[in-house]
Amino acid sequence: MMKDHLENKPITNTSRSGHFVREIRVAWAIATKDMLTYYTKPAALMFGILFPFTLFLSFSIGRDIPLAQQIPMLIAQTLFFASSSIGPVVIPMERANQTFDRFLTAPVTLLSVLMGKTLAGIIYGVGISIIPVIVGVAFFGSQIVNVGALVACFALSSLAFSALGIMFASIPGQTPGQVMMPLNFVRIPLLFISGLFTPIGDLPSWMQAVSLLSPLTHTVELARYGLGTGGFFGPVINIAVLGGYAVLFVFMSIRFHILNQRKE
Amino acid sequence: MDNAVEAIGLTKQFDKVLAVDNLSFSTMKGEIFGFLGPNGAGKTTTIRMLTGISRPTKGTAKIMGYNIQTQSISAKEQMGIVPDVSNIYNELSAWDNLVFTGKLYDLPKELRETKAEELLKMFGLYERRREKVQGFSRGMKRRICIAMALMNKSSIVFLDEPTSGLDVQSVLIIRETIRKLNQEGLTIFITTHNLEEASQMCDRVAIINHGKIAAIGTPEKLKRTVQGLQSVEIAFETTPINALNDLKELPNTREIVKAGDKFRLFTDDPSSVLASVWNYAQNNNLKLVTVNTLGPSLEDVFVSLTGSRPATEETNRSVKSK
Repeated sequence: MMKDHLENKPITNTSRSGHFVREIRVAWAIATKDMLTYYTKPAALMFGILFPFTLFLSFSIGRDIPLAQQIPMLIAQTLFFASSSIGPVVIPMERANQTFDRFLTAPVTLLSVLMGKTLAGIIYGVGISIIPVIVGVAFFGSQIVNVGALVACFALSSLAFSALGIMFASIPGQTPGQVMMPLNFVRIPLLFISGLFTPIGDLPSWMQAVSLLSPLTHTVELARYGLGTGGFFGPVINIAVLGGYAVLFVFMSIRFHILNQRKE
Repeated sequence: MDNAVEAIGLTKQFDKVLAVDNLSFSTMKGEIFGFLGPNGAGKTTTIRMLTGISRPTKGTAKIMGYNIQTQSISAKEQMGIVPDVSNIYNELSAWDNLVFTGKLYDLPKELRETKAEELLKMFGLYERRREKVQGFSRGMKRRICIAMALMNKSSIVFLDEPTSGLDVQSVLIIRETIRKLNQEGLTIFITTHNLEEASQMCDRVAIINHGKIAAIGTPEKLKRTVQGLQSVEIAFETTPINALNDLKELPNTREIVKAGDKFRLFTDDPSSVLASVWNYAQNNNLKLVTVNTLGPSLEDVFVSLTGSRPATEETNRSVKSK
């Protein structure tokens, strides 16, 4: 038993596949473990599902807008909150249990670890946000008129917002609340400058410039393009800005976690 | 290359606190190396730097010849880690914890399942493999944690306080496993507060204090450095309430430590103390049930180097006033 310790070569799959494929496999293993372990945690349910649906209902009930036109708002909010909530739930809890150290001592790069965490956020965000699309199409007459725009909306937004959550999760804290609080200081103001409740065309020009900088603006607009209700900046700008934020947030999340490791 | 671990000027500064101060040492392949020190001495910080969890402020370390910072993947492939807290996934079953660890090390499916089964059987947990570990006792969680560290075919395992606070059954299983793995060629790097355990298990020990190595060598060699520290260990059939104070006043007794029902009287002249103890017992109608003369223990070395006695057992200490 355990005789393989006598040989000096660790058992890994490296020889039978490339380093890149190995990193992808490990990232997927981390993502699936996070899904099994953390998707049903109260903090994930509250900040990822309850929060966006409650906000949506607060601002939509009583307004004279057809429900089909409000579906893109709900899609954008759920993508925004659900995707960005997984990192801030998972990482502080893993830090408290010291299970995050397992990743730091495993023979994988920090990039793979954070990609796994980001992937868990992406799947959560997409899984929750697809519900309003199905409900809108099935019951409220919504029509998917631009599949490409909707796919870009889901793919880029879930990546950008999940990475945003991972970036905030680098804040040293051992409870989700310690990360959610500063994250909400960013998330909630973005709701009001992103054309969710007031059309961007109705805003003064300086507010339109601010809206352009908000990633949520482009999620809302791509969702509207996808469901045929149109936007202000145009899908090319929407995709470019969201793509830019996705790259920026992924890069920043890695940098912040490396800085964190130096302080530990 | 015979070194399993090589620390080269490892330094860790937390703001104004210098936790580890220019630490250099090496451990040999195939040995059980004990890393001892009082609380706050820098043991865990050192392990965190050696295993790549934390980055050193200065210096570096090599694991099986691989630099932990510049060749971190190769270095990490060589090691298994058991931290001071059992960092397992409480929401997952024992089986899933091990299989997930296998995935982290990218073991092929068949191999990770074979290893998981083998290790769960080895640690007596196979029958409970499907249960979520949150219902497990502390000792069982510790065993799972050690099993997770052995999923990869490591060359070295770092164990931070592996038996601290565990039930006797778990302690015995863990010690036996450590010995067995070491006999099979695995290098063990262990920190412990239990100096008796270190003395019995370790080929070499290092004592760290205030972030610096205070001494390093085999337990017997370290004991010889405090050769003057001799003691007489006694126990009475019925211990009088004021025995500690009375014994403290015996001539030639420098210090007394009470551990359980035993008293240990430190002296430079054991024969004279033995005579005094005999007289004390006669005068007070006490029956002596244990009388031993002892040389210095690893604990004595630890105390003489660090100035503090490890708090692993209930001890009552009294130093004679001059």
